[in-house]
Amino acid sequence: MSLIIIKQTSWFWKGFLNSYTQIFFSDNKVFAAILIPVTFVDFFAGLFGLISVLITNSAAWLIGLSRYNIQKGYYGFNSLLVGLGIGIYYEPGLVLLFLVFIAAVFTLFISVTLEGVIGKYYLPHLSLPFVFGLWMLMLSAREFDALALNERWIYTLNDLYIFGGQSLVTVYEWWNRLSIPSPMRSYFLSLGAILFQFSVLSGVLVAAGLLIYSRIAFSLSLLGFYGAWLFYTIIGAEISEVGYSYVGFNYILTAIALGGFFIIPNIYSYLWVLLVVPMVAIVAISLGTVLGIFYLPVYALPFNIVVLIFLYVLQFRINHKSRLYTYFVQRNSPERNLYSFINFRERFAEHTKIPLKLPFYGEWTVTQGHNGEYTHKNDWRYAWDFEITDEEGKTFKNEGDYTEDYFCFNKCVTAPADGVIEDVVNDIDDNIIGEKNLEQNWGNTVIMKHSEHFYTKLSHFKKGSIQVRKGDRVREGDAIGLCGNSGNSPYPHLHFQVQTTPYIGSKTLKHAISNYFKRDNGLKELVEVGIPEKDQKVSNIQINTSLKEVFHYVPGMIMKFEVTGLKQKSACFEVKIDNNLNRYIECRESGSKAYFDTAPAMIHFVHFEGDRSSLLYYYYLSAYKISFGFEKGQTLNDTYPIHLIYHPGRIFLQDFIAPFYRYLKGSYQLNYPQKNGMIASSELNLNGTIQKQRFGHITHKMTFQFVVDGKGLKKFDFSNDHVQIQAICVQ
Amino acid sequence: MEKKVFERPVIKKLSAGMPAKFGLQVRHEPVTQIDGVPIKTLMEEYGSPLFVYSEKKIRQTYKEACRAFSSRYPNVLFAWSYKTNYLNAVCNVFHQEGAWAEVVSGFEYQKALVNGVSGDQIIFNGPDKSKEELELAVQNRSLIHIDHFDELYDLIEIGENSNIKPKVAIRVNMDTGIYPAWDRFGFNYENGEAWDALHRIMHADNLELLGLHTHIGTYIMGTEPYKIAASKLAELAIGLSSKFDHQLQYIDIGGGFASKNTLKGVYYPGTDTAPSFEDYADAITSVLIKANFRHNKLPLLILETGRALIDDAGYLAGTVIATKRLANGQRATILDAGVNLLFTSFWYDHDIRPAKPMSDQTEETAFFGPLCMNIDVIRKNMMYPLLKKGDPYVIQRVGAYNNTQWLQFITLRPNVVMIDEKGETHLIRKKETLQTLNKMESVPDHLKI
Repeated sequence: MSLIIIKQTSWFWKGFLNSYTQIFFSDNKVFAAILIPVTFVDFFAGLFGLISVLITNSAAWLIGLSRYNIQKGYYGFNSLLVGLGIGIYYEPGLVLLFLVFIAAVFTLFISVTLEGVIGKYYLPHLSLPFVFGLWMLMLSAREFDALALNERWIYTLNDLYIFGGQSLVTVYEWWNRLSIPSPMRSYFLSLGAILFQFSVLSGVLVAAGLLIYSRIAFSLSLLGFYGAWLFYTIIGAEISEVGYSYVGFNYILTAIALGGFFIIPNIYSYLWVLLVVPMVAIVAISLGTVLGIFYLPVYALPFNIVVLIFLYVLQFRINHKSRLYTYFVQRNSPERNLYSFINFRERFAEHTKIPLKLPFYGEWTVTQGHNGEYTHKNDWRYAWDFEITDEEGKTFKNEGDYTEDYFCFNKCVTAPADGVIEDVVNDIDDNIIGEKNLEQNWGNTVIMKHSEHFYTKLSHFKKGSIQVRKGDRVREGDAIGLCGNSGNSPYPHLHFQVQTTPYIGSKTLKHAISNYFKRDNGLKELVEVGIPEKDQKVSNIQINTSLKEVFHYVPGMIMKFEVTGLKQKSACFEVKIDNNLNRYIECRESGSKAYFDTAPAMIHFVHFEGDRSSLLYYYYLSAYKISFGFEKGQTLNDTYPIHLIYHPGRIFLQDFIAPFYRYLKGSYQLNYPQKNGMIASSELNLNGTIQKQRFGHITHKMTFQFVVDGKGLKKFDFSNDHVQIQAICVQ
Repeated sequence: MEKKVFERPVIKKLSAGMPAKFGLQVRHEPVTQIDGVPIKTLMEEYGSPLFVYSEKKIRQTYKEACRAFSSRYPNVLFAWSYKTNYLNAVCNVFHQEGAWAEVVSGFEYQKALVNGVSGDQIIFNGPDKSKEELELAVQNRSLIHIDHFDELYDLIEIGENSNIKPKVAIRVNMDTGIYPAWDRFGFNYENGEAWDALHRIMHADNLELLGLHTHIGTYIMGTEPYKIAASKLAELAIGLSSKFDHQLQYIDIGGGFASKNTLKGVYYPGTDTAPSFEDYADAITSVLIKANFRHNKLPLLILETGRALIDDAGYLAGTVIATKRLANGQRATILDAGVNLLFTSFWYDHDIRPAKPMSDQTEETAFFGPLCMNIDVIRKNMMYPLLKKGDPYVIQRVGAYNNTQWLQFITLRPNVVMIDEKGETHLIRKKETLQTLNKMESVPDHLKI
């Protein structure tokens, strides 16, 4: 019973922990375990902070706000800061407790409001609610007679003696005698100040937590802090250890936010940090002057202003000249963001939203590609001409005097994707070989609409061969007509282009073709997404239905395994879909999740979270990329994000330099059987290897194997230096 | 300067260049080399007569056939018909190109396995499959094309006693408008026998019905019968899909495509009249694509054509043994290859070519083989230059059926070579010797002399 309650309320406790770590954009539990005691260095501050978090998250739940946001700590962390602030400034008491309650809920309201108002601009609310919330309270509290200012820590030694006796006082004195250089002391004070704990000890602990959470965030905190220090020195601003510490965390937080969290960390983001930090300094100094009139501290306002402005500016970019990239999916750590981003770019940079197939059966040759030498120029440069050639490269038999001699003439032309027929011309005569019809340049033509501003055009059909009419719905692969020789076509060929407007003669749009085989010389090679080039022989892949049956995961699908070689003796995978339409496989035993992405003829795993000793993790590694269509003996290659193939604890050094250079690599290779799998029920054996590489040298090798028959997956094996797993599929 | 060829003088009726009712003068262009290898060199090294295969030609023809079908239909597979030519080297060229194996006996089945074809890529056809052979085929997950009910019952029984479901298809015979309709293989379409068999299979829990097969005949000189065959099979497949919600994976249209040889008694030469792969492909695929198969559920199209794929790549080179005059005055030439090696000469007018340049002087000639049997006639009557003893000749388009149907009758079977794509010659079957035959015989002790 109690277990169920813990399970059901686990999201609440996650929200509690994340409310602490979210201050540093983290969801690291170890970090939380460090931060929570740090807030209790001043006991009452910590207590009111904690109460504040609990009140906020409960209120959010009662109001009916998104459980996901609560769990992420998005609402809790601002209230936490307000609670800490109140706790540190005022004497504890029932009145204060009541005030904390009000302040926490009010801060929640500000958070939600800002989420709505600036969320529209895809901007995070950061710690603005905290700044506003605490200001309001401080300004108004001056009128509250019932509140008394906190007098703790004014007589530090007395307090320490009460708290921990003589020994604590001795430790404190020893600590103070430690000759920590002023800049370093200031750095730690700044870190502590984020949690209203103005002590070096708190700062050291937070720094340690930050290092555990993220090496990149840690190095950025140094870069931001000392970058600003340098700026102060250059412009001759006054640096007092204590005064600087009160604003110093602004530089740290700005550096982490812009250098590595909201922007993928790289050399350019680091350089921008150096440029932006002085801006924060100027904002901090100028605001300090204005707010000083009201006896208000600037808190984290400079950080908020500059980060939001910077992120907003980035949204108006029309190209990627700046080399600053924002994340696709926030993985809550600069390292994870970086590794995922790089991997994503390697794998999917060229993927298109609407996958186009080649519009024919069998193997055709590109006789004019993009920017071709005959007609594919200027506005019409992104087009292809296709013909069929024999082994000697000839496109016709006999003398080639008649259209019928040409291999491509009279061959079926198919729809490249699902769509609606937008326009049809079907009554232009086929030319005699060698003649062109420049009056009706495009000849018999079909234009299809696949999506808004996305049309394809196929031209030079045989007269009267088009079987579709305007308004017809067609599906990918449906026969549309026959290749002919009408229009500007001296010999039969098929013209294919993508365009944004529905007119015959519209200018072309650069767009790739998905999942096809290319053959330059000799063997066929699978192209996931690419632009066929001149003289390449290209053909569509044919989907093997038994592979598709196994690896095309449909939400609701369940896979059960009997496992040997692992702690878990059985495993049950269920395919699920979340609110953001991300699809994933969940392991019922461990709760681990492996996220995937389905292309029409291919499956890619894109992310894994959870237990790395579960069967699902090994499955994720092995079924990382699988094409449903294959040629015999074909291989597929791919790479893993570093943090998902290496143990996160073992890449400490790599993390520090990851934004600039990555010496670790995880690569995937899948080998298809040496036979063509034309009949779905024949048994197929897919095996492959996974390699970890350091500076290009292989350090670890793993192998895996899938056995598939017509009924589904039979068996999955995995082995590396430590484990030898065999999972028999029982359902 | 090379010495001019001497030809014996003949007396011939003058024809003043006007076409006779038998057409213009026939010129037999000499074939002096195959893929750049002179016939003379080949025979010096490997003897006479000699079968020669051109690997280049096999691959070329295969690709041509593939292109014709795959550019019209998304999903095409060829299965090499072993009975047409089961020389291992020839089979392996096809397997390398991607063809599966189509066999019609336990012996051929074993041969395919030995050639390295995986069991699930062998199609087992034919009326003669023993229970043991069927069991092996089931174990190997081969595709079994059922020919008759007795075989179907055998398979049901095997299925019951095995943990592997036999993968089956039925062979369907039908009226496609050609004569004679082959109704002795498989189950008849028109009288409903095919549906009976399908019902029986669908209700047998332990059989996996994968496809439908037909083979409408041999040497079909038109494409219309294939349209009819394809539409009848498609109708069965769609019927199964609507009645049992069972999607068939393939339709096997068999073979029967004509090669470019000229049949006996046909006036126009085969090179001009036989449909091309393009013609056959167009007929078959256009019907299947227009049939009401569900979207993206077009069945795999399997083709088992043998003759049209291999005939052109086989040559028979030999030497003239003697010339003589028959009693009626007709010239006769005796070749060292006869019906023992050219089984196909019973139905083809084979294209015999001189293997060295000859003059244009021709005479009505009969070509006989070396056998001491009256039936050993290759060509009864041909206007032909005057070959003499020792002259080399080449018979073209002999790749199909001859090396499987040849006889060890009176003489022994000769060498078979293959010229690879680089022009290198490989011996792919050694000529038989007395030991080859004697090895298999035994003489009881009391008969030993």
